[in-house]
Amino acid sequence: MTGSSHEFQDIEEATTALQSQPDNKTRRYDRQLRLWAASGQSALESSRILVISASATSSSVLKNLVLPGIGHFTILDHASVSHSDAGNNFFLEGFKSIGKSRAEEAVRLLSELNDGVEGKADTRTLESILDTQPEWFATFTLVITHNLEQTILEKLSSLLWSDDTYPPLAVIRSAGFLAEFFIQFHEHNIIESHSETSPSLRIDKPFPALLEHALSLDLSSMDPTEHGHIPYVTILVRALEDWKKKHDGNPPKSYAEKKEFKQGILALKVKYDEENFDEAEAQAYRCWSETKVPSEISALFSDPRLASLGPTSPPFFHLLAALRDFTLLPPYALPLSPTLPDMKSDTNNYIHLQRLYKTQAEEEKRVFKSLLTVPIEDSLVDSLVKNAHALQIMQGKKWGTFDSEKSALVNSLSVSPKETSTHLALSALFTLLSRQPDIPPTEEALRTEIQSVIGQGVELPEQLDDALGEIVRAPTAELPNVAAFLGGMVAQEVIKIITKQYVPANGYCVIDLIETWTGVIGN
Amino acid sequence: MNSPGPVNSPKNSSRYSHARAILGPELSKRLPETRVLLVGAGGIGCELLKNIVLTGFGHITLLDLDTIDLSNLNRQFLFRKKDIKQSKALVAAQTAGAFNPNVHINPIHGNIKEPQFDIEWFQQFDVVLNALDNLDARRHVNKMCMAAQVPLVESGTAGYLGQVQPLLKDRSECFDCIPKPTPTSFPVCTIRSTPSQPIHCIVWAKSYLLPQLFGEDENAGTELDDAEKQGENAQEIATLRREAQAFKAVRTALRSESTAADASRMAFQKVFNSDVLNLLSMADMWRSRVPPQPLDFDAIKEGQFKLKHQASNTANPPANGKSIPRKNGSAKGKHEPTNGNNVEPSGSQNGAGLKDQRALSLQDNLALFVSSTNRLAARLQTGKEDTISFDKDDDDTLDFVTAAANLRSAAYGIERKTRWEVKEMAGNIIPAIATTNAIISGLIVLQALHLLRKSYSALKNVHLQFKPTVPLSTINMCPPNPKCGICRDTYAKVLCDPFKVTLGEFVDGILGDGEGEGQGTGKREVSVYEDKRVLSDPDWDDNNARTLESLNVTRGKFLTIVDEEGEWGTISVALGVLPADYPTSGPAFILPSPLPKPPRQVRPSTPPPPAPSLKRSAPDDDDVSEIEPSSKRLKTNGDVTSPNKKRKLDEDGLILLDSANDKMLDEDVIEID
Repeated sequence: MTGSSHEFQDIEEATTALQSQPDNKTRRYDRQLRLWAASGQSALESSRILVISASATSSSVLKNLVLPGIGHFTILDHASVSHSDAGNNFFLEGFKSIGKSRAEEAVRLLSELNDGVEGKADTRTLESILDTQPEWFATFTLVITHNLEQTILEKLSSLLWSDDTYPPLAVIRSAGFLAEFFIQFHEHNIIESHSETSPSLRIDKPFPALLEHALSLDLSSMDPTEHGHIPYVTILVRALEDWKKKHDGNPPKSYAEKKEFKQGILALKVKYDEENFDEAEAQAYRCWSETKVPSEISALFSDPRLASLGPTSPPFFHLLAALRDFTLLPPYALPLSPTLPDMKSDTNNYIHLQRLYKTQAEEEKRVFKSLLTVPIEDSLVDSLVKNAHALQIMQGKKWGTFDSEKSALVNSLSVSPKETSTHLALSALFTLLSRQPDIPPTEEALRTEIQSVIGQGVELPEQLDDALGEIVRAPTAELPNVAAFLGGMVAQEVIKIITKQYVPANGYCVIDLIETWTGVIGN
Repeated sequence: MNSPGPVNSPKNSSRYSHARAILGPELSKRLPETRVLLVGAGGIGCELLKNIVLTGFGHITLLDLDTIDLSNLNRQFLFRKKDIKQSKALVAAQTAGAFNPNVHINPIHGNIKEPQFDIEWFQQFDVVLNALDNLDARRHVNKMCMAAQVPLVESGTAGYLGQVQPLLKDRSECFDCIPKPTPTSFPVCTIRSTPSQPIHCIVWAKSYLLPQLFGEDENAGTELDDAEKQGENAQEIATLRREAQAFKAVRTALRSESTAADASRMAFQKVFNSDVLNLLSMADMWRSRVPPQPLDFDAIKEGQFKLKHQASNTANPPANGKSIPRKNGSAKGKHEPTNGNNVEPSGSQNGAGLKDQRALSLQDNLALFVSSTNRLAARLQTGKEDTISFDKDDDDTLDFVTAAANLRSAAYGIERKTRWEVKEMAGNIIPAIATTNAIISGLIVLQALHLLRKSYSALKNVHLQFKPTVPLSTINMCPPNPKCGICRDTYAKVLCDPFKVTLGEFVDGILGDGEGEGQGTGKREVSVYEDKRVLSDPDWDDNNARTLESLNVTRGKFLTIVDEEGEWGTISVALGVLPADYPTSGPAFILPSPLPKPPRQVRPSTPPPPAPSLKRSAPDDDDVSEIEPSSKRLKTNGDVTSPNKKRKLDEDGLILLDSANDKMLDEDVIEID
């Protein structure tokens, strides 16, 4: 007894160190870490966000960035709190805030949401900074504006577009129930796109160990229980190999052959209720869908930066070059993914198959790594190999480019009339307001402006009437629910940009909350 | 100048100037009188409360039974660290109420299913907004709103996905018109003797071992009886019965201070050694399966134990790719920064210090098993708790389930999981972020405004989806499912004293004499149910003379009257209480006027199938009361509520698997690395 209690003390000590309970930060962020993991969280925590104006909408965006834990935010706003701000913006202290600095009040209240985030108010004017200190913008990860006056917005977007050391710019515009946002970025590379398509299992090009395993099975004299638990992958590899032997090494090609192949699989059943064979029949298409490099991925290989790769090139392009070189080797495919999907099987068979895939995937990763010309962190290599089938290089556009391309606008008007109409109406509104800030625009004036943008001869769709009607009714009003909605939408896309995970919207995301729809145009 | 009270301030009108411009004068004038019920003050609820306060809804009742947890703070922005453990409803009302003194918020810390929240209570609201995280409460509110004819906006989120659905009786489908997938259950024998996936071991640890050791002292016999009836292997069942008996000794040891120190070893010895040996003695079972391996406490502790099964070594490396255990933490492992700025150095792949994501060795798992068992035992010995059940936020139970599941996995050659993964699988955790909740809450209010304005053509079911090119997808509202067992019933309300009214009187009163307008259908052959209990049928009227109270049919419940001939639709009668000033001499119930008259059913030309209808068949036996009612609902293909088959939105907080073999928890749902 004494012995055992001593022993338990030891074990108790041993366990205190390993009480694997997470710290408070992990607990606080638990539900989001399950979405974007530590790497995404780390990117968020090192980000610095600049928000221009403390409107209800931009405060809503910020709220949704402060809660998940960005590193720092600055609100740039020289205005003081008005009555309608007080009734509209939850992140002001109601009437107590009236007359005080909007930036300071909003920073104070937003900072309360998360003491891990640093907030700063800046009451200078944007004009003065653009004129005297343009390099200041380069200290931020991303800049967000809401209903910023047209001329100064053009100036800001041109500056941030002028050099790729400047951060992306999110431009939000809203009027009543209508809104749009656009994220201007130079280029956005995504490894972890969290794609819903799964990589090839290489059933048509089985690696040697898989082929050997499939051929080693004695299907006819196998134990019936065992027979009912062969995973479909194994069944298909075997059936395809048997088929090829009888067909000059070719897979099933014609419809009749494919049908025959499927019937052949079902004929292998020894009992009618063997679900694994049903599954194999359902998955038989994998035998004739050739495993090759997806065209979207091979398109990335022609990126000019691969040709001029040097030690200072970003790791992404070193990885991409190694990936290209990998696909030049047999079997001319992307590295094998180590993960197997679920399938009808028992533990033994499944685990055996899983091990074959893991071993092969490890081997291919080793080959991949040997093709790298610079040292790269293992975790990044792992991530790339795992997501190779869904890599993305997104090319961004400068804000406003779309509006200067008449033919693109005209084309968009016919393909997406309501989205394009709403976009044109919002653009016209801000153009007119910048010319005559104090005169609410008429429907006629807006229509004339739009016509001059897209060309006099172009017929305007009837959807434009609705958009213009709404804008004339509520040209500058900010409804709290629209602000809340936009706050969520924009923050969501900003998080995708910062974490470099998931695929963000590219183009103008146009929103109509009268009819409840969103659409993306101009990409 | 002191600012005058906001209510009298002439400037107060500017508070709503934006809203008025947009909502139009008519609706914005009505808003201050509008009464809203908001059910839930969690992720969606906080956002929604802010929105409806800003929009200017005058009277808000906010109900939530939950208290605040640290893991809420990444999105439930009305709460601060100092509010942890407080009532969500009260704190949310306090924080949001301060913003607009013209809005009356009535917070209730309670369960929406309590009887006082009866049909009359629901009828006081102009609109109900659901911000719930579980299927059961959602169904309940849906039914109450259908009965009370109050418009409802239903919603849910999961990670980047979300949905909003406006519901109105007879105009749209209701929440229950489309059957909701029910959580997968596993065959008892898979859990108890032949696990093959990590989830089987986790379910075993959470739902079997933990209750056996720390739960109520019940002989788990009924479950085995059922399994036997279902035709599961009789010999196996017998072994499991013997196993159950032996738990007694361990339970006793855990509850006594003198023996508790040894209890963890006893528990280990029993479940990971002797139970495994017992199972091994049934050679038949292992003919086509790999037999489990009994574990040895001391050998594992000394690091001498050799696992036969290699699979256990394939445990996923920690998600961040670092496998070096971080053992340098202090006892509690807290690293709270003191400067109020806990931003870690940038560039680290390891930003959020995920120490529960490291893979645990067999030795680690044993140590964790011992320490968590001791911690749980100590809690029982203080006498403050009689029983302990699993709670994902209770670290002792989570550690216990992690360790026990992993030890079992080791014995069976199944992949082991990290504490982080076990938490997600055992706690049915789904990701939740501020952005999605903000988007969904904005949409909820817009749909609510459409409902209040009765602009029914503008109502839409909205889904927030994964596609970057079309963030929102909207579909027009669907008409009610004619076979729905909830919204196709004809509802009525009866205020009564259940101590005085008998079942017979009640039913006769509702059916009326059928003579003339408003006099009901007249007497006919009916069966009467309360939920799934049959109270009477045409051949069985024993209960007719009993009072409703003696049949446990009381306030907040429904009596359902089903026409035996299938000629008339079903009547559901909601029970309320008599008004306080009701004369004691009056009749013991107030019938509705007119009496309910359900639509005539179109009778099928062929006789109906053996089950009387999809709606209410008599339960087969007594213990089905816990079974989800979905089994009696129409099955339809294509679940419109799930943009992604793997992630059902029906139940925020619950991951629903499609099949027992579904491995989504292993690889599909959330890629942590």
